[in-house]
Amino acid sequence: MRGLKSLTTLAAGSALVLSGLVVSTGSATATTAIAQCQASFKSGHLPLVSAGKLTVASDINNGLYQPWFGANGNPSTGKGYESALAYAIAKDLGITSKNVKWTAEAFDSSFAPGSKNFDFDINEISVTADRAQVVDFSNSYYNVQQSIVALKTNAIVKHHSATDLKNYTYGDQIGTTGLDYINNHIKPTKQVHVYNTLDEAVAALTAGQVDAIVVDTPTGQYMAAAQIVNSKNKTIATQVGQFPTAGEHYGLLFEKGNTLVGCVNAAIADLTTKGTIKSLQSQYLGIYNKVPKLTPIQP
Amino acid sequence: MGRRAAVASSLSSAIIVGLIIWFFWRAPNGANVRHFFLDPHSFWINLTGDPSRSLYSILRCFETNVWMFMLCEALVLIFGLGLAWLRLSRTPILAPLRVASAIYTDVFRGIPIILVLFAVGYGVPGMQAGWISQRTPITYACATLVITYSAYVAEVYRAGMNSVPNGQVMAARSLGLSDVQTMRRVILPQAVRNVVPPLLNDFISLQKDTALVGTLGIVEANQAAHVFGAMEFNYTGYTVAALLFLALTIPMTRYTDHLIAKDRRRRLAGGTV
Amino acid sequence: MSAVISAQNVRKRFGDHEVLRGISLDLAEHEVVCLIGASGSGKSTLLRCLNLLETIDEGDIVFRGQSLTDARIDPNLVRRHISIVFQAFNLFPHLSVLDNVMLGPVRALGRSRDEVKVEAMELLERIGLAPRALEFPDRLSGGQQQRVAIVRSLAMKPDVLLLDEVTSALDPTLVGEVLDLLTDLARGGTTMLIATHEMNFARNVADRVVFLHNGEIVESGTPSQIFDQPREAATAAFLSRVN
Repeated sequence: MRGLKSLTTLAAGSALVLSGLVVSTGSATATTAIAQCQASFKSGHLPLVSAGKLTVASDINNGLYQPWFGANGNPSTGKGYESALAYAIAKDLGITSKNVKWTAEAFDSSFAPGSKNFDFDINEISVTADRAQVVDFSNSYYNVQQSIVALKTNAIVKHHSATDLKNYTYGDQIGTTGLDYINNHIKPTKQVHVYNTLDEAVAALTAGQVDAIVVDTPTGQYMAAAQIVNSKNKTIATQVGQFPTAGEHYGLLFEKGNTLVGCVNAAIADLTTKGTIKSLQSQYLGIYNKVPKLTPIQP
Repeated sequence: MGRRAAVASSLSSAIIVGLIIWFFWRAPNGANVRHFFLDPHSFWINLTGDPSRSLYSILRCFETNVWMFMLCEALVLIFGLGLAWLRLSRTPILAPLRVASAIYTDVFRGIPIILVLFAVGYGVPGMQAGWISQRTPITYACATLVITYSAYVAEVYRAGMNSVPNGQVMAARSLGLSDVQTMRRVILPQAVRNVVPPLLNDFISLQKDTALVGTLGIVEANQAAHVFGAMEFNYTGYTVAALLFLALTIPMTRYTDHLIAKDRRRRLAGGTV
Repeated sequence: MSAVISAQNVRKRFGDHEVLRGISLDLAEHEVVCLIGASGSGKSTLLRCLNLLETIDEGDIVFRGQSLTDARIDPNLVRRHISIVFQAFNLFPHLSVLDNVMLGPVRALGRSRDEVKVEAMELLERIGLAPRALEFPDRLSGGQQQRVAIVRSLAMKPDVLLLDEVTSALDPTLVGEVLDLLTDLARGGTTMLIATHEMNFARNVADRVVFLHNGEIVESGTPSQIFDQPREAATAAFLSRVN
């Protein structure tokens, strides 16, 4: 599962689902903006890489996971939060679902120099100032909280006070905000193990090489509820708890200078106004509010 | 090489290097690529590290590569020799071990090291078989490098031993030297001299393969560069790591060349009583 | 006089080819025996069998009354008493001349380096190579290398010295110096079995000459018997070819 990717240097700064919308905050102007975008799609003026089609990228080759995508890892089912959102945005722009095309883009290459063969990449990518210098991002479509996942047998399940948390061995995927959260907020005394993929971090967790991993709450929920199992297919991990949000949020990734970002932001604003985003979040991500709260360690 | 030839060859090298630099400088997107791989500011941060942004000092992380390499190299020399020795032994009671050593070298030379790394690094601790499953990732990484490279080096040793003429063995045996003495005093010293260049090749590979152990979560130079790339969307860290590896391998190659030349001179020069 | 070493009806096969077909040969103390015969007649094989570098298929090899085909015999111990010098010298190229000579006594016999060094230098003095003791074999001429190889065997103080065509690989101008050394050793009473193509040398030095043909001893006797009045047609034919 591709987890969170990045630093939390850009502060979205609120518990609101969406913050800092560029296009508009009022429903009337949002509606106007989206109407203009729909018109420009109809007249063929919307800047799409493939005319008449919305080309959406995600890390298909490395596997797509619930609750962001459907159970079978196929992005074109409209199941899962990110898949459903991509189709909702398309529909809002007047693009039919059969004109939504998916393409594979690995996380590592999404920010390489050169032109992109997709309109936007939807891959749980956190927005940061550094990244925004190389690529463009849409406004937030999800605000992130970090959580701890550990084996049920690990001491961290019972002992996780602010001081206790410093004494465990953590592992995480490279480039993730989880890793950043460990380094800047938990500040453990032992060296953090940095894995190339979340799979490897999970393998290390299962093998007892690390005590815990820190991932966003939805990802952690899926890991504990379904992904980390023993040979008898029984779950062996648990989500110990989640930390308060540190301002991190996910955005859609665009090639630098792509003007499509304006209309996509208009669609996000429109979907927020209509309540679509809220209902998709409660459908796919709602269970996360039940995860216990953890005491953070102030940076 | 004559003076004219020397001038011609340095001139042609200069032109080729110049063309390559020109190409990178003038390419349509050259400025972006230069920023991506050679950004001076990123270069500096990669050397010093920045804990507040979870960025590592690649220089410090490279220490892990260096000591891993030195430890593994020493172990590989010993295990590789043992394997080659077993394989060449003619003692009947060692026959099963001889077969085992042949299978071992075939298998571990054939499997990509990254797969062995996964099997050892996640498999062994995953078994939860007591002590052996409770080692650190770096121990499993070293074990993997030693397991794999011993197979390579065993074959190099074996080639070296086979290159020693049979007459040498006969001469040693006819002096009443035992198997072990023949190996230690006659075959090995000659075999090692014959295989220094291929051994060196394997050691440079070993050095470079310490960059693979990031797979086990170990933050060595390459993984530190990877962290930087993922955080900052910039690959200058890889350039820093590459330069550090070169700073280690080039002097080592030159020094070995020097040793070989010195040994040759010694054997061909007159000694004094 | 009892034999130092004796081959008793020795047979040796390489695959289907029988190289030695029932060889019986005794070597007495201080005796110098020359083995003559065409290439492939089995001379080298016989020498290698005698110091157990080759195993034999039938028969026995007896050294001072002890059978060497006994499974409990340690070949390494035997070889300290029965030393062989090869056609191709086989000096150790990574060791100095002195270390070549000292290797056997120091490592196989476990004697002290200092003591062995004195003896080794005496031996090198004897062949005129003491000044070059610290040089490496590659720097020496073929004749010098072969003399060092002989001295290397002598340093083991063997009971028997086996010499396998030691001049065959040499430039003709260098043969003399090696044969002179062997003549010298023969006069000094070293027990030697010498496979050679040098008939004049054999005539002058040997107590006994043995003619080997197709893996069998065809004829054996004093040099004058063999060279002047060969009884067997095969011997006469061989001698007429080499002379």
